[in-house]
Amino acid sequence: MVGRARAAFIALALVTAALLLSSCEGSGLSPIFPTPVSPNGQDIYDTYVGISIPAIIIFVGVEIALLWVVLRYRRSRQPVGYVPPQIHGHTGLEVIWTVIPLIVVLVIAGYSFLTLQKDFQPITGEQMKVIVSGRQFGWDYKYEGTEVVVRQDGTLAEDVTPFVVPTNTLIKLQFEGTDVIHSWWVPAITGKTDAVPGYANYSWMKISQPGIWRGECAELCGAGHSAMQIIVQAMDKPAYDQWMAKQVAALHPTPSPKPSPSPSPKASTSASPSPSPSK
Amino acid sequence: MATTALPRPKDYDDSFFKPISLWLTTTDHKLIGIMYMVTGVLSFVLAGIFALLIRLQLAQPNLKIVEPEIYNQIISAHGVTMIFFFVTIFLTGIANYMVPIMIGARDMAFPRVNLLGFWLVPVSILLYYMGFFTGGALNAGWTGYAPLTEKAYQSTSLGVDFWALSLIVWAISGIMASTNFLTTIVALRAPGMKLTRLPLFVWAQISTSILLLIVGAPLAAAMILVEFDRQLGTQFFTTQGRPVLYQHLFWFFGHPEVYIMILPGFGMISEIIPVFARKPIFGYMTMVAALFGIVFLSMTVWAHHMFTVGMNIYVETFFMFMTMLIAVPTGIKFFNWIATTWWGSVEFTVPMKFAWGFLATFLIGGITGVYLASVPVDTQLHSSYYVVAHLHYVLFGGSVFTIFAGIYYWFPKITGRMLNRTLGEWNFWTLFIGFNGTFLIMHTLGLEGMPRRIATYANPAWATTNMIITVSSFLIAFSVLLFLINVVRSWNGGEIAGDDPWRGNTLEWATSSPPPPYNFERVPPVRSFMPLQDLHAAPNGAKPEPEPVKA
Repeated sequence: MVGRARAAFIALALVTAALLLSSCEGSGLSPIFPTPVSPNGQDIYDTYVGISIPAIIIFVGVEIALLWVVLRYRRSRQPVGYVPPQIHGHTGLEVIWTVIPLIVVLVIAGYSFLTLQKDFQPITGEQMKVIVSGRQFGWDYKYEGTEVVVRQDGTLAEDVTPFVVPTNTLIKLQFEGTDVIHSWWVPAITGKTDAVPGYANYSWMKISQPGIWRGECAELCGAGHSAMQIIVQAMDKPAYDQWMAKQVAALHPTPSPKPSPSPSPKASTSASPSPSPSK
Repeated sequence: MATTALPRPKDYDDSFFKPISLWLTTTDHKLIGIMYMVTGVLSFVLAGIFALLIRLQLAQPNLKIVEPEIYNQIISAHGVTMIFFFVTIFLTGIANYMVPIMIGARDMAFPRVNLLGFWLVPVSILLYYMGFFTGGALNAGWTGYAPLTEKAYQSTSLGVDFWALSLIVWAISGIMASTNFLTTIVALRAPGMKLTRLPLFVWAQISTSILLLIVGAPLAAAMILVEFDRQLGTQFFTTQGRPVLYQHLFWFFGHPEVYIMILPGFGMISEIIPVFARKPIFGYMTMVAALFGIVFLSMTVWAHHMFTVGMNIYVETFFMFMTMLIAVPTGIKFFNWIATTWWGSVEFTVPMKFAWGFLATFLIGGITGVYLASVPVDTQLHSSYYVVAHLHYVLFGGSVFTIFAGIYYWFPKITGRMLNRTLGEWNFWTLFIGFNGTFLIMHTLGLEGMPRRIATYANPAWATTNMIITVSSFLIAFSVLLFLINVVRSWNGGEIAGDDPWRGNTLEWATSSPPPPYNFERVPPVRSFMPLQDLHAAPNGAKPEPEPVKA
């Protein structure tokens, strides 16, 4: 029977699709974001999952209705000489399928707003602040309160210099653009933030575990756009302190391009990162 | 559907091969419509070739088939050509051909404005492509965000200037066409064709024209400011100026443009589904109301393209909410289309298949649109391959499928010949499979962190997915090739269509195929929004209650 064969074919296609989608994370076929390592990323992840519930129900429902029309109401399945009822509409039905979607989007919007209010305002009370500036083609990370700047020059040939941060520390990120618009995005941490020339833009992160997370510039910024790789490396507090001390020491003997004031502020900068993350 | 009544001998030339002087100077809306459509299809092929180049470059990690600078020009040309020179132009063409006939008019209200409006389109296209010969075309994506388009970052090339000029000309052409459509529909309707009896395709054209009239000028304004910045040294959008202002201006045009590209498609679907389901459209008035709901809402949502620039969260909430609201009128249209076929006697001809393919795929674009509207989720998805997948589900699954549906539906009227059904079936299935194979798994690439507009990538995990996408994209190309073969073959020697091969509802099926230059010898009486159904119901034109004709 043609209809049954078609239904079997469709069922097979659906199963194949489901198998494809269930393949694991990082395969290029994952139906969801990478596992978040920062609470704001987790909230986005949860919102995504939340929206998926009505989305999947509506998707499956409508596709089944479309399929049902194909299977049931096609001319070859109707009796010979069948004249369809000439229905011009039904106010009650139309009100129903206006009001129900309205309620669904109200709920989704409200839920999204709660996440927005929780995570997307410039934070205060941060334990550490880094000024991230985008340029053609790379990122500069200036650790506030120190003279340390990590220059992450874009390249595809090898891993770029990692942006090192301590774990379990609330870090405020301030984004600045120096030439064109760039966008800083590490999917495992949180959503992207644009680095626009002319004003500062804010985000934050609090990474729960040591590790390396990758991202890229997400706003077309010229020929080197695809090379603007991002690597964030999170370290335990002691390892981070060691790394920071090394950076500061590296600044000390060789005169940095900027005229560095005197040894005394440098001593204070080497001391300054340790009290703030120790909170 | 062989309604093989022999064609009547015609007192006019209906062959495509008319003298070139006639094509250049004609003010006949039908010939202008054909020229629009042919221009659109040529642009489609050109932009499709750009798309294949993009897919070749991305097939594997670290490929260098083209240099990044050239790649950026290719993605920009792909976007600009598809959006401005294919979809919008093709839809203007099909409306130019059909709207006057569907309302029982003889021509557009301003035939010479129509002529000028059309000829500005090739001017606009040539202007854009001049960039390739003057040091490099636009390389900042079709959106052309400042300050990347500013002179400081484009030292030698004139591509951005030509893009800006091209879009100014394009906007003027669009404003001319919109004015013409609105005037035609308001002033030239046949007796009895009240507004509540307009075919839904004509209603869709009204809403589209209103949108283009409102947002065409801001686009031109944005482009003029870009030119000022580049050539007169002003600082509107430069690094020292306000780059985000450009985004506001551009998206105030750019988002409604999405609806300019899909509302006529909605209109065509609303024509096609009732004909092949043998039922009247379900909820005519709600369909019209939904169109205008979309028109209004589409102008209040532009900043949802800018959720990562750092706006106040309450402003973002407004744009999020308005964006999600669009799901409501769109949902109404969806449910009404499905209800139209419920209990129907549905014939899955090729146009109906494309209509169904549109519903099945556009639904995905609509649902992913809700994810993208949610500000927190959008900060992850924005500017990633998820967005590329979403916009292609809306513009390819939406606009292109409806355009194919419209072509298969109206080709018999325009040429007098049917498109070959077997080739049409192949065209549909290869397109449907190729399209979903290409774009469905792009969502997952975006979720895993692949940004859009990157010239290459290093991550080996994305290789397989990208390879599947590239292979599928060539299936789309194959499908389009089948379509072109079908058009050329059928235009020359297809089955004779007759006046009304589908047993249509609207006035265009009451005249000959192709219609004479004056469209109708006698416009049939219009007593409902399905005048031809009324004719079929009471053949001899003998109407029980002749309605007084109001001019």
